[in-house]
Amino acid sequence: MIDFSDVGLRYGNGPEILSDLTFSIEPGSFHFLTGPSGSGKTSLLRLLLLSLKPSRGKVTMFNEDVGKLDQDSLLQMRRHIGIVFQEFRLLDHLTTFENVALPLRVLGQPESEYRPNVTELLEWVGLGERMHALPTVLSGGEKQRAAIARAVIARPKILLADEPTGNVDPDLSSRLVHLFAELNRTLGMTIILATHELPLLDRFSYPRMVLNKGALTIHD
Amino acid sequence: MTRSLLSRLPHWLPFPRRGGGAPIVPEHSVAGRTLLLLITIMSFLSAVTLGGVVLVQKSAIAWSADVGREMTIQIRPVEGEVMDSNLRTAVSLAEATPGVAGARALTIEESQALLEPWLGAGLDLSAIEIPRLVVVQLADPVDADIEQLQRNLQAIKGASLDTHAAWRQQLNTMAGTVVVSGLLVLGLIGVATVLAIIFATRGAMASNREIVDVLHFIGASNKFIAGEFQGRFLSIGLQGGLLGALLAALFFLLIGTAAGSVLPTEATAQVGYVFGSFVLGMDGIIFIALVVPVIAALTAITSRLTVRRYLSEAS
Repeated sequence: MIDFSDVGLRYGNGPEILSDLTFSIEPGSFHFLTGPSGSGKTSLLRLLLLSLKPSRGKVTMFNEDVGKLDQDSLLQMRRHIGIVFQEFRLLDHLTTFENVALPLRVLGQPESEYRPNVTELLEWVGLGERMHALPTVLSGGEKQRAAIARAVIARPKILLADEPTGNVDPDLSSRLVHLFAELNRTLGMTIILATHELPLLDRFSYPRMVLNKGALTIHD
Repeated sequence: MTRSLLSRLPHWLPFPRRGGGAPIVPEHSVAGRTLLLLITIMSFLSAVTLGGVVLVQKSAIAWSADVGREMTIQIRPVEGEVMDSNLRTAVSLAEATPGVAGARALTIEESQALLEPWLGAGLDLSAIEIPRLVVVQLADPVDADIEQLQRNLQAIKGASLDTHAAWRQQLNTMAGTVVVSGLLVLGLIGVATVLAIIFATRGAMASNREIVDVLHFIGASNKFIAGEFQGRFLSIGLQGGLLGALLAALFFLLIGTAAGSVLPTEATAQVGYVFGSFVLGMDGIIFIALVVPVIAALTAITSRLTVRRYLSEAS
């Protein structure tokens, strides 16, 4: 599903942030992406999200060479990738329901069509009672569950999460990772979850992609 | 109160949103309110300029038509000639000319009144021989045989015919200058509006950067994002245009009332010569109403182009 071959990334004329990345991600797999701060986790996620182009090497996703795709094709491919951020990035003037429904509105679905699906998903993540609340009144855990719901509502094939547990307590962190695991197991989503919380990783047996000074090693 | 009124306007003019749901771009923001105020002012200035141009144009047409329907025969005092007899002859000649509806010699008093602005009131002119005038009303300025009248008047010593052609030419030139100047001002207001919308749009985009980023991350195309912002700006443009046009209509109503009641009678008359009676008429109202869709379209198109450019720069 995802193939990186000798991929390098640098910003402008600066040093390489990521060097010689070569790895494959199978469909339906779950990987942790870890490493110290500044090791390039977010840059790798941005490459996977297609919001950055590699400086060198070849990235293949869904059997297509990403470097050869035009803007429209990149946009279509990006719609198969969901993203969850540490800082949630919910739109504060929209309710939880409207935030979660946003990807479907972008796809042009009418509200009558997406309303049952959004409601069902919100109930599944435990926000059925909070669907009309604005993000400003939600707790950290609720915001992150809303952000996860928004990322998966359009049924992406790949779900990326950038430090999704960074702003919640350890107990909730564990429950959030269980939620990602459930999405992986029940919907077959390919998940790459970036975190630098080693105790959290130890509670799960998923393979780890470890970045250190721009170099990647994978531990099964 | 104005602020409260402006904040309520978006509900009066809801803009249809794709797929229903709340607006993705917030309706109430500092940038939005500033842009609304700015477009209201620009619309008001455009509508007032346009209304002024219409008034002057209408007055010029009315002047031209009035002056064109009238001619003046001037009879200078000539030694050995009897003025009253010459006046009667001139009236008879004029009335016998095809296309002339009537002719009338001005009395001594009327002639004195005409000279009053230059010589002052209360002056006894009975001792001085002054030129006398015959006012000739034309039934149809096109069919009137002016050449025949001119030929016939050669029989009266000291008589000359003034068709007011020079006056009409000057009036038309002046009115044309005012109209062209008004249109030039209108063009400059349009350019200033476009520039202001560009700056306001870029400001709004910068303040909504988070929304743009989130929309990009969830797979929205630049076209979709531009459409969301364009909808918001079109709504602001419609509201601003409507408010500006209403204020301009109110302005003309007030200025018309004030010109009739506040200004002295002489001043009212003079202002009336230039602007008529300040009544815009149906064509003036239509022109002012046209400001609303034009400003809205200008806002929507300018903001769309600015948003597309901003997004392509950002990506």
